[in-house]
Amino acid sequence: MFKKSISSLKLPHLKGTAGLAPVRIPQPKEVLLPVSPMNSHSAVNAEPVVEVGQHVTVGQLIAKEKDRGSSNIHASVSGTVKAIEPYVAGGRKAIAIRIESDGKMEKCPDLKIPHPTNLDEFLACIRDSGAVGLGGAAYPVWAKLSAAQKSHISTVLINGAECEPYITCDHRVMLEHGDLIQKGIELMKQFMGSEEYIIGIEKNKPDAIEALTERFKDDPAVKILPLSSVYPQGAKQVLLYNATGKVVEKGQRMASLGVVIINVYSLVKMAEYFVTGMPMVERILTVEGSAVKEPKNLIAPIGVTVRELVEACGGLKEEPGKILFGGAMMGKTQESLDNVILKATNAVVIMNRKDTEKTAASPCIHCGRCVSVCPLGLNPTAFSRAMELPEGEEELRAAILQREQVKVCMECGCCSYVCPAHRPLAETNTAAIGWIRNWEKAHKEGGR
Amino acid sequence: MEKPIMSSGPHIHSHASSRRIMLDVIIALLPAAIAGVVLFGLPALWLIVTCVAAAVISEYLFNLIAKRKQSVGDLSAVVTGLLLALNLSTAVPLWQAALGSVFAIVLVKCAFGGIGHNIANPAIAARVFLLLSFGSLTAGFPAPRGVDAFSGATPLALLAEGNTGELPSLLQMFLGQRGGAIGETCILALLIGFAYLLIRKVISWQTPVIFMGTVFVLSLVFGGFTVAVYELLAGGLVLGAVFMATDYSTTPITARARMLFALGCGLITFVIRWFFTLPEGVSYSILCMNLMVPWLERWTRRKPLGGV
Repeated sequence: MFKKSISSLKLPHLKGTAGLAPVRIPQPKEVLLPVSPMNSHSAVNAEPVVEVGQHVTVGQLIAKEKDRGSSNIHASVSGTVKAIEPYVAGGRKAIAIRIESDGKMEKCPDLKIPHPTNLDEFLACIRDSGAVGLGGAAYPVWAKLSAAQKSHISTVLINGAECEPYITCDHRVMLEHGDLIQKGIELMKQFMGSEEYIIGIEKNKPDAIEALTERFKDDPAVKILPLSSVYPQGAKQVLLYNATGKVVEKGQRMASLGVVIINVYSLVKMAEYFVTGMPMVERILTVEGSAVKEPKNLIAPIGVTVRELVEACGGLKEEPGKILFGGAMMGKTQESLDNVILKATNAVVIMNRKDTEKTAASPCIHCGRCVSVCPLGLNPTAFSRAMELPEGEEELRAAILQREQVKVCMECGCCSYVCPAHRPLAETNTAAIGWIRNWEKAHKEGGR
Repeated sequence: MEKPIMSSGPHIHSHASSRRIMLDVIIALLPAAIAGVVLFGLPALWLIVTCVAAAVISEYLFNLIAKRKQSVGDLSAVVTGLLLALNLSTAVPLWQAALGSVFAIVLVKCAFGGIGHNIANPAIAARVFLLLSFGSLTAGFPAPRGVDAFSGATPLALLAEGNTGELPSLLQMFLGQRGGAIGETCILALLIGFAYLLIRKVISWQTPVIFMGTVFVLSLVFGGFTVAVYELLAGGLVLGAVFMATDYSTTPITARARMLFALGCGLITFVIRWFFTLPEGVSYSILCMNLMVPWLERWTRRKPLGGV
C-alpha cells in the first residue's frame, strides 16, 4: 500500500538571519541564572551551591541538579553572587542566581577536559556539564542517552530540521560547527555503539546539507537526510516517521524502537564539553522580529536580558507587541525585556504591535481544515466542542476527550494557524489536556 | 510603554477567513448565475435577487429578535439564497421563492444554531420544502429563451419516459439549452465554478468527482454510454455535487468520511432516478446523506499517530 504521509503546513520561513554568522554580544554587567528549565515539562529547581557574596568564575557550578527535571547550572560570567531570588518569566516561577560581573570573564580553574572510558562515565560527564536538549524541551541530554544503558540504540536521529519560522541558530551551527558534530558522533560511536546516524535537515538549508554531506562523505554510518521544508518537520513523531517510517505507539518509549533523537545543537554542545571542558555557559541564538532594528544571530552568555540582546541588534524600531522565546508557532511569550535567556532559548522574536493584532474568533464553520492539517490525525473541533459543554456534563466531556485522544496532541499549533474562523484551537487543546489529566487523576483515586 | 501581550501560540496566522471562503463560493456561483440569466432571461435575475434578499433579511431579523450576534457579514446567507435561487426554475412564483429562503435560513440554519451547526443543507431543504408544499418545481420547467422544441419536459423526464428522440443534443446539454432550474443547466458555467473552488482550495476534488462518477458508472452499467452521459449532464447533478455535497456544515469533517458521503450521494441519486417514479434524486440523496454524517465520521475513524 501507499506509505501514509504526515500532514503538515507550508509556513512563511522568515529566516532572514540565515546568512548572518553569529556575533558575540558585549560583556554583560550582570547575569541572572534561573535554576529551573521553566517550561511545561519541568519546574524543578536545581539546588544553589553558592552563597550571596561569594566570588565565582566562568564555568563554576552554582546550582546542582536533583533529578531529570533539572540540570547543573554554571556561572556564565566571573564575578560576585549578588542575590539568590525568586524569578518569574513566561508565567512560570523559579529561583534565580544573580551574578555581578567583574568584567574579567575569568575561567574556573577546576575545569578539566573529561576522558570517559565507558558509557556510564560518558553519561556522568554529560550530566556534570549540565547539557540539556536545545530543541526546546530542555530535557537533560544524559537522561535521554541513558536509554543506551538499558537497550541497544541502533539509530541516532540528529534533528537539524529547524522548521519554526524565524529561527536560524541551528542552521548556523551546522555551517560552522561541523567539526563538533563529527566529534559528537565519534563519541556516540565509541560509547553507545550505535550503527546509524541520520542528520535530518530541511531543504531550505541547502548550504548546510552540502557542507555536512561533504564532511561525512567517507563515513557510511552517517546519512544526511534532506527533508521537505514544512512545519512541524522537527517534531519528535514527525521526524521519526519521515526519517525511519517508525512510530512511537502509545505507552512506548522511543528507545524501545532502538532510536534516540537529539537536536543538532545539543549534540554540538555536548561534544564541545569533551573538547574544552567548559560546561554550557553560552549559546548561539537568533534575535528577530518586526520590532528589531537589525536582526542577528548572537553568541550570548546564558542569563543575559533580552534588553542586552536587543541593544546588540541596534535596538528596537517599534514598541514590542510580543516578546517570544522560540519561534512564531510554539514560542512562549515573555513579560518584559528584562527577562533572561535560558539554555534552551534558541531565539528571541520581538513582534511589533501590528503583527500581534488578532482577529476575533467566529463560529466554527466545520470546514475541516484543522483536521486535515493535523500531523497526528486528531480532530481539534471535537476537543473544542467537549470543552464548551456546560457544567454537569463532565462525564461526557471526559469520554469525548478520551475517545478523541487529546493527550496525543503535541500542541504544534497547526490547527489554530489554518482556522478560518480564527478559533484558538491549540489553546483549547492545551486546556483540554490539562483538564483530562486532572479528571483522570481524580477518578483513579476516587474509585477503581 | 504598554505591556507586551502574553498569549499561547501560534503567534502567526494564515490569511484564511470564513468570510473569504463564502465570498469564494459566491464568486464560483457567479458563472452559473450569469448563465441562468442569459438562458432564462430577466425572471431568473428577479429570482436570484428575491432569494438572496430574503435570505439576508431573514437572517438579520432572526439575529435581531433572538438577540444573537449579527452574522450576515459572514456572507453565508448570501450563499444560501443564491444556491436556492439556482435550484429553482422561473416557474416558481417569487413569493414562494422568498418563502423558501426564509425557511432555509430560519428553520434549517438559525434554529440549529447558525453557521456550522445546521444538519441539513438549507438550500436543498428549502427546495424540497417548496417541492412538497407547492409542487412548484415539477409544474414544468420553462425552456431557455430561443429553445422551443422541448419546453415542459426536462431531459430527465424524457429519459424516464424513454422519449429519447426529443432529447437535446449533448452540446446543448453542456451549454445549458434545456429545461431545468436556472443554475443547473449550464454545465460549462458550473465547471468553471468548480475549477475556481479547486484553485482557491475551498473544496477538494474528491466529493464532486466521486458523486458524479458513481452516478455515471452505475448509469453506464444499467443504461449504456449515451444514457450515462445524459444522466451526468442532466438534472441538478453537477450543481449538487460541486456546490451542495461540498457544504462544510452538513458534510463530514474528515476526508475519508467525505468520500464515503459522496459515494452514498451517488448511489442514492442513481437509485431514485432509475428505480423510483421521481425523475430527480440529487436533492434527496444529499439530504439523506446529511443525516448520515455522524455515522460516516465514526465508521472512518483512524488511529492517530501515537494513539490507539
